Amino acid sequence: MKEFNYLRADTLSEALEMLEEFQGNVKVLAAGTDLVVRLKGDMVKEENILDISRIKELKGIFTENGIIHILPLTTHTEILEYPDMKTAAQILYDACKSVGSPQIRNRGTLGGNVANASPAGDTIPALFVQEAKLKLKSKSGERVISVEDFFTGPGRTVLKPDELLVDIYFPAMSDDEVGFFKKLGQRNALAISVVSVAAKLKKSTEPNKFDKAFVAFGSVAPTVIRGNRVENALMDSVVDSREKIRYIAQLAWREVSPISDVRASLKYRQDMSINLLYEGLLELYKNGWNRRS
Amino acid sequence: MGEYKYIGKSVPRVDAAEKATGHIKYMSDLSFPNMLWGKIVRSKYPHAKILKIDTSKAEALPGVVAVVTWKDVPGLNGFGIVVPDQPVLCEDKVRYIGDAVAAVAAETKEIAEKAANLVEVEYEPLPLVDDPIKAISEDAPKVHEGGNVHLHTKIVRGDVEKAFEEADLIVEHTYYTGRQEHAFLETESGVAKLEEDGTLSVYAGSQYPQRDQMQLSRCLALNPRKIHVVSYPVGGAFGGKDELTIQPILGLLALKTKRPVKIVLSREESIISYWKRHPMIMKYKTGVKKDGTLVANKVEIYADTGAYASLGGPVLNLAVEHACGPYKLDNVYIDGYCVYTNNGVAGAFRGFGVPQVTFAMETQMDIIAEKLGIDPIELRKKNALRRGDVSPIGNKLTTSVGTVAVLEGVKETDLWKNKDKIEKVDKERPWIKRGFGFALTYQGTGLGIGLPDYGGAVLRFREDGGFIVGVGIVDYGQGTGTSYAQIVAEAMKCPVNKVSVILGDTDLTADSGPTSASRGVYTGGRAAIIASKRMMKILKEKAAELLSVSPEDLEAEGGYFYVKNQPDVSISYDKIAMEFLKTSGHLPQTEGYFLMPIADIKIKDAFGLPHHIFAYSGHLALVEVNTLTGQTKVLEGAEVVDGGIVVNRQGFEAQVEGGYVMGMGYGLMEDVKIEKGIFKTVNFSTYIIPTVKDAPKRIQTVPVHDPEETGPYQAKGIAETVMVATAPAITNAIHSATGIRIFKIPATSELIYNLLKE
Repeated sequence: MKEFNYLRADTLSEALEMLEEFQGNVKVLAAGTDLVVRLKGDMVKEENILDISRIKELKGIFTENGIIHILPLTTHTEILEYPDMKTAAQILYDACKSVGSPQIRNRGTLGGNVANASPAGDTIPALFVQEAKLKLKSKSGERVISVEDFFTGPGRTVLKPDELLVDIYFPAMSDDEVGFFKKLGQRNALAISVVSVAAKLKKSTEPNKFDKAFVAFGSVAPTVIRGNRVENALMDSVVDSREKIRYIAQLAWREVSPISDVRASLKYRQDMSINLLYEGLLELYKNGWNRRS
Repeated sequence: MGEYKYIGKSVPRVDAAEKATGHIKYMSDLSFPNMLWGKIVRSKYPHAKILKIDTSKAEALPGVVAVVTWKDVPGLNGFGIVVPDQPVLCEDKVRYIGDAVAAVAAETKEIAEKAANLVEVEYEPLPLVDDPIKAISEDAPKVHEGGNVHLHTKIVRGDVEKAFEEADLIVEHTYYTGRQEHAFLETESGVAKLEEDGTLSVYAGSQYPQRDQMQLSRCLALNPRKIHVVSYPVGGAFGGKDELTIQPILGLLALKTKRPVKIVLSREESIISYWKRHPMIMKYKTGVKKDGTLVANKVEIYADTGAYASLGGPVLNLAVEHACGPYKLDNVYIDGYCVYTNNGVAGAFRGFGVPQVTFAMETQMDIIAEKLGIDPIELRKKNALRRGDVSPIGNKLTTSVGTVAVLEGVKETDLWKNKDKIEKVDKERPWIKRGFGFALTYQGTGLGIGLPDYGGAVLRFREDGGFIVGVGIVDYGQGTGTSYAQIVAEAMKCPVNKVSVILGDTDLTADSGPTSASRGVYTGGRAAIIASKRMMKILKEKAAELLSVSPEDLEAEGGYFYVKNQPDVSISYDKIAMEFLKTSGHLPQTEGYFLMPIADIKIKDAFGLPHHIFAYSGHLALVEVNTLTGQTKVLEGAEVVDGGIVVNRQGFEAQVEGGYVMGMGYGLMEDVKIEKGIFKTVNFSTYIIPTVKDAPKRIQTVPVHDPEETGPYQAKGIAETVMVATAPAITNAIHSATGIRIFKIPATSELIYNLLKE
């Protein structure tokens, strides 16, 4: 393992100061569940590590005007234990539950999972369909972007060298919204997703119809991706049969561009994008498009 | 077993507290003053000539104390339990990507790693041998000069071709099994240290300290008495620490630097460098009569042993011996090849060749049962070997044969009783299918004929009236140590907590052979009983003398001798100990040695065959398959096991549950992938083993037995058989759920999905 400089910021302004000073030659450490593994494998090119894990201003969850704010250093366990998260952010809740193991959920943070920008990041498809926004801050200012616009490739984001992710927020789910997060791994815990699918549907007043649909796929493209064709089909159809759901789910084939690796083949990932979406939609359909109890 | 006070009871493990509290010191925890760190330089190619090794840059690095190459090996530059064909450090050729070429010792771990990268080795790559069947052909490139076939074993009985003509049904399939990693918690680690008197101490967890001592003596050209091996405690082994691993290199570095040297392998280095379960390709052709009577079995086995022999030959021979399952078959043709390739190295692993053939044979049996419409238990019972029968390879089974006891026991399990009530298709989610599966197996106990097989135990009387039993066998998780404590307590009539156990130390324990082949309790236990009987005689005589009665008048119980019919006249063991110390100044010590009984005949041209004593087990699985994804979940499992009388009931349960989950991993997910000689799954992120979330909610464990009089308190051994047939039980259940047949394990979600799609 290479040697590196370890820096620690105790406040946000200190962190932003240091980011500006090191101009990109610095890797931010939130909890280290991924970074430490990469450090051990000499896969980090930056010579400085900036530990932000003790910045209190970046921890916590609050709701304001129906918007749920999850600050980036909030752990997956804290999200799971937050009151009402299971109903107000059911999809993200399910995604957090599928992360690693209790130890990793106790340590790993939502901001870390997002900024790490893995196409297999479990919470990212959920944040896509929950319509999350990210606030990025630097010494010179701040900006807000949609989570979808954040990722540029595996491990790559639009974060500028002096910027830090400081807030993740999205509207609480309303009663007429349903959804799911599904993850296929090689086992039931401590698994990196082979394919993951998240979806959120806003029900219309007409049965089996939807005013809005959000679908996102993980591990099947260089970044997590939205499934616009599937969404359009869900909004334009009367989704009233198993056959129709199957037909819509098959559109996923047009959305994904997976690769083969040691975990799964390209073809299997393609088929699983369809089948996980199909299974998720079918379960909701069989439940009368109601949330499961 | 009402007559026993300690045998058959649930006894907490003697090592439970120190392990649970973390107080135990494993070899990877050891640290000595002035200690150096070692690092091994491994091959960069799976098959290459070495043109030049230049260590000058590494030697020049400040903090480096020594760099060793083949030139520094004072004795034979080779190790291997059967054939020492693996170089300690390669001289002219590397045969797999983990082959050791050089090693460094440095002041810190970091310097050692840096120095290892500075050792310059020039290679000339050679053509790769990565397909065990192609490797057999004459014109294939050679891994070893003598050719790629390490061992060819063929057993022919009767006339299979004639029998196939008479068969009503012939089932013919080819089976493939994966390369399973032992995945012990503690990687190969340890410290070697040169003592002031010139003794080399080697602290490294392993399965047979006395054999390590012998092999090290040969490599290091050192009198074995000048080598002290401590191989316990060890953080898991499962067969993966039967052969030497890092010990000879540790020894070399310690001898050269005259300072303690420590090596702890990373998980990645551990997976690349050492033993795996042999992947096998097995062609089966089985003939059967309409009524279910097996008439012929023709089997071809190709075992990929990788670059070096280690125990590849014996593994192949166990596969050959067990290829037909515990069934009566008079026409067999079994043709096995153990083949060298550049695919890492394979060696001993719990089950030792039997899990592979059991997967194949038990799938054949399931297919036969289905095609003939015979109940799977009845089919097996019809063909079951019984005591007195001749085995498929031709030896008469004169010892305990538990086949029928196991099959009867299976019918009593909850899974079997409720199997017809399974909701085969989930009502809510009809793409979820459920099924039940069964498989039967057996496993030879001990090393087999022609190999010296014995147990040894030293028993020392303690000052407090307790005992210390020293056995060379190593408890790497099985609970053998606790069984020895129970066996001595039973024999010496004293509480279990008065018996302490010493294991795996060439100075303090008697040679008891390798900790392998499900033989620990049987051989070590018998030796402990013999030592105890001698000790009992000595103590009784002393007690008689002190109580002024004759020894025949005395009876022992709970750490006391009583005069028969006069329970108020007694003397405690600690008082006797005190008397010994007072009169002679020391406490008595006894030894017990036990020679393993062997079969009456030797199988021609099949070294080590046959075995004489076998354990039997039936494995059951209830699975749920998601037909949209191919994901399989084992909902519930059960095992019925004849390993003789159970010594420790809770140990039995733990051993069965652990074996079941290991067998499940083998069947569903575990495979070290090697492509063109390069490892693709080098850690637990890509090499997938089951977690607690994958394990079934319940595994019912049922002991049955067919008495084995030669065993210690009629015990045999269960360590291996409990994992062997889990994979086919699960794949047979997948068939019952979905209709697809699995001919290749691990049956990953992707594999199952692709079969469903066809």
